[in-house]
Amino acid sequence: MTGIEWRPEFSTGLAEVDHEHRGLIDLINAALASCAEVPAARREIEAALGEIYARTTAHFALEERLMERLEYDQRKEHKHDHERLLEDIRDIMDGLGHGAGFNQELFSARLVRWFSEHFRTHDARFHLRVAMSP
Amino acid sequence: MNWARRAVRTVFEALESVLDSVFGPELNPLCQLGALGWFLFWIVAASGIYLYIFFDTGVVQAYQSTEAITHEQWWAGGIMRSFHRYASDALVLVALTHLLREFGLDRMRGKRWFAWLTGLPSILFLYMCGITGYWMVWDRLAQYVAQTTSQWLDALPIFAEPIARNFLDNASLGGRFFTLMAYLHIAAPLLMLLVMWIHIQRYNHARVNPPPRLQYAILGGFTALSLAVPAVSQPPADLDQLATHVGLDWFYLAPYPLIDRLGAGSVWMIVALALLLLTLLPWLPRQRPAPVAVVNLDNCNGCARCFDDCPFSAITMGPRTDGSPYNQQAVVEADLCVSCGICVGSCPTATPFRRATALVSGIELPQLTVARLRDELACHGERGALRAIAFRCTHSAPLRAAVADRVAVFDLPCIAMLPPPFIDHIVYDQLAAGVLLAGCRQGDCYNRLGIRWTRLRIAGARDPYLRERVPRERVAYSWAGARSPAVHASTLQQFCDSLAALPPLRRGTVVTKREVWQARAKRMAWPLRYAMQALVLLLVAGLIAALSTAPSIQLLGPQESVITLSFSHAAKRRHECRPLTDAERALKQPNMQHPTDCPRGRWPVYAELELDDRLVYSGLRQPAGLWKDGVSSMYRRFRVPAGVRRLQARLRDTGRPAGFDYQTARTVDLRPAQNLVVEFDPQQGFEIR
Repeated sequence: MTGIEWRPEFSTGLAEVDHEHRGLIDLINAALASCAEVPAARREIEAALGEIYARTTAHFALEERLMERLEYDQRKEHKHDHERLLEDIRDIMDGLGHGAGFNQELFSARLVRWFSEHFRTHDARFHLRVAMSP
Repeated sequence: MNWARRAVRTVFEALESVLDSVFGPELNPLCQLGALGWFLFWIVAASGIYLYIFFDTGVVQAYQSTEAITHEQWWAGGIMRSFHRYASDALVLVALTHLLREFGLDRMRGKRWFAWLTGLPSILFLYMCGITGYWMVWDRLAQYVAQTTSQWLDALPIFAEPIARNFLDNASLGGRFFTLMAYLHIAAPLLMLLVMWIHIQRYNHARVNPPPRLQYAILGGFTALSLAVPAVSQPPADLDQLATHVGLDWFYLAPYPLIDRLGAGSVWMIVALALLLLTLLPWLPRQRPAPVAVVNLDNCNGCARCFDDCPFSAITMGPRTDGSPYNQQAVVEADLCVSCGICVGSCPTATPFRRATALVSGIELPQLTVARLRDELACHGERGALRAIAFRCTHSAPLRAAVADRVAVFDLPCIAMLPPPFIDHIVYDQLAAGVLLAGCRQGDCYNRLGIRWTRLRIAGARDPYLRERVPRERVAYSWAGARSPAVHASTLQQFCDSLAALPPLRRGTVVTKREVWQARAKRMAWPLRYAMQALVLLLVAGLIAALSTAPSIQLLGPQESVITLSFSHAAKRRHECRPLTDAERALKQPNMQHPTDCPRGRWPVYAELELDDRLVYSGLRQPAGLWKDGVSSMYRRFRVPAGVRRLQARLRDTGRPAGFDYQTARTVDLRPAQNLVVEFDPQQGFEIR
């Protein structure tokens, strides 16, 4: 199962944002590792997802604060993408909590795809704006 | 004091219920009093600026220019004058109602003392604005205001000469007072504005604009009132021939008849005691402070959501102190924090879901942590056993329900303390079929912004959002004041019935409906509602118009006149001046080499006034000044029957033990309402005019 690897291009130049990005990647990779164990410990996965959800929500709050302060023109679209991921994580958590079956491949693909795509598009554009701000 | 508070609260809740049904909670004027005060202030300021362009200061010009503004340009100046008066009256009504209501709702004790104490001087400045404004017009009412105010102020031992002597008669009246009044009438509202600004400094998102619809209604109401009952002057002032009656503006001048009846000193005493009581109210009795919010730096990344949402500006964003890479951290100002918990509800880390680390939010109330709330929820029976879980604000009504065995109730210091993920957790982890949020009366949150933030969070319009996936038909509000428990009980019953009829929860579905479940409520048909709104506005407008000039008070009986006795006279020195010798003068500084040495200190002045051989006044007036070397002065008015009277006035200004240094006797024919002035002048002796 492939996790997310920190790449230099993910760096925003903002120490606090980079610190949280690294922390989130570590959490996701740890969650993926828990999933890979056989048999997977459901409570541990639940706890890992709960941690990801709380930390991601907090990280998005911080990022949205920065967007607001910099009057970032695409903050609405960017936030919409944040909300979409949070809905996704909750759906995954809920499915796991109610024995609907936990598809490790699907979970991994959804999270990794979202983060990679979000870093590549929304975050990259925002980071460019941060770099250009005085 | 608590019984008085409860009584006031009960009355206000009853009134608010009526107005809620007429205007709706968003437009209920009683829930907008602070904002209405600001709006009325701007109306008064704008209309005042217009009037000042055409107003002329001076004994004669003041009245004439006001008349010209009122009648020659009635279509603009006249309407502006009416706006100025009626909005000023409405401002008094709004300010005093606001004061009383905040007392009744107990929103001035504990950490909230600041707004109360800064509100008091703004009311004093408001009265100063009104009194100086009525003075400027110089009609009969202005004359009454000028004479009574100056007598009231003269009771304070701070003036060397009585101010009232400026208003002895027409001959002694100068124009300088009108210029002074104009300056005071401009300075007072500026000071009031400054105090109003300070008044809201500890409030985040202070509401200073009422809803636009209410603004239009008020402007329309004032326009109609200005055309129907325009504000006009009373007859011009005449200090020689007094008015027997004067129409009062009771909003501003209600204490004035008391000055005549009880005396200036007694009214000062009443005012001082009332102000002392009002000042001490926030500590009667003292409110026991709850533990304030605490920031947990391990879970705070400085996102500032708590800073944005705190209604009392109790959270600031400060530099990081834990060495982490974050720039800022939330800092709680303990002196401002009212422990409402709204910051907890706003914190993105306040989630109830199982985590790899301990469940600690970035900001917490020590007495009710997020972990404790989650644990208490988990303790409430098996999954699915509860039909609903209700979160109740402790400032709202008690929550009792017929379905109590299937409902768990949790008390929170404010409904906005509940982090939205808890609702997601309750619904999807099947702790209950639905969640009821029971808070204060709508538009009237005890903690100012709790209801507003809750509604926006649930609607997905303010962070943290309630996730879209939570079906909104499983969430309900109930807003009720502390004295209206039936509202909560009825809503809960209806909500539980509705939940029982819902199909099983579908998972993973994105729900698009944003409206939460609504209780059935009887609503007035719109024609009746608009008619009732018009009726309420008409009643208030009628009250303002009526009390701004009536009922009038009687100043003199039909066969009464007034004798005014006054002087301002430096009595003889207690010790005669002694010529200095050349040697004595040489010892003094060059600029102080007076030819004589005059020890300081003068005799008091003793005066008597006799009417028809009956003594109506005798008194000793001490010299002014710390060294008692200033003038002795007095101003007294005596109401006497009109007709032919034998008048004698006597005065002693030396240290002689008996007898008088000046005296006069004359027979006068007093006309009804005449003001006869008996004034002493050292050069000419007594002058009767």
